[in-house]
Amino acid sequence: MSLTEQITGFVQNVVDAMGLTLTPRIEETPDGTHINLEGEDGGVLVRRGGEGLQALQHLVATAFRKQLGDDNRIVVDCNGFRRDKDAELKQMARFIAGKVLSSGIPQEMGPLNPYERRIVHLTIAEDPKVTSESIGDAFMKTVIISTKN
Amino acid sequence: MSSTETGAVGGVSPLRAVVEVVARALVDNPGSVKVTETERRGMTVLELSTAPGDMGKIIGRQGRTAAALRMMVALTAEKHGKRAQLDIKD
Repeated sequence: MSLTEQITGFVQNVVDAMGLTLTPRIEETPDGTHINLEGEDGGVLVRRGGEGLQALQHLVATAFRKQLGDDNRIVVDCNGFRRDKDAELKQMARFIAGKVLSSGIPQEMGPLNPYERRIVHLTIAEDPKVTSESIGDAFMKTVIISTKN
Repeated sequence: MSSTETGAVGGVSPLRAVVEVVARALVDNPGSVKVTETERRGMTVLELSTAPGDMGKIIGRQGRTAAALRMMVALTAEKHGKRAQLDIKD
């Protein structure tokens, strides 16, 4: 059984145990494999900014830490919530990079969690004229976007 | 899996089931995971115990894994119109 299948099985077991009617669909995206849970019970995971989805993502990352390694990311999504939030975050990062370039003044984004910071850093890295850096020593950190010298 | 009207899956309540499924996936000794469920003043109290060496895996760095597990318990309780509390026995 592939790792994606194992993780999908675990996620299915968790939502079944919770009594939620959700069906996982595997989606290969440019950002890696997404396990998208589809169904009308999705609201339980998505409400309050997707707290439940974040918790489930953490449990997957912890339970499969050894098998996942460093680069092999599998994202747990629900009714496309994560995908839409990620797209919003990328759009915001590009918008702020544009402001930094036109003004020359560094701008802050956040505080963001590690997953969100990774998206911002990868998005900023697409433009060779700007650079990004995380500031702080807690779980949530602020990302500073500035022009590259 | 089929659900009855009370939301119990295979005779096990959703609250107990979610703790069991998650805890077993986190530990090295899934056979030693035990979850008990009692009612106390309108609240469901779940007690989780594991093999001694596995407790750290349930708690996680800065208690983050325990917090994630408690979140899943809270959402399950909310879904089924209950109030629940998870005690991690160490």
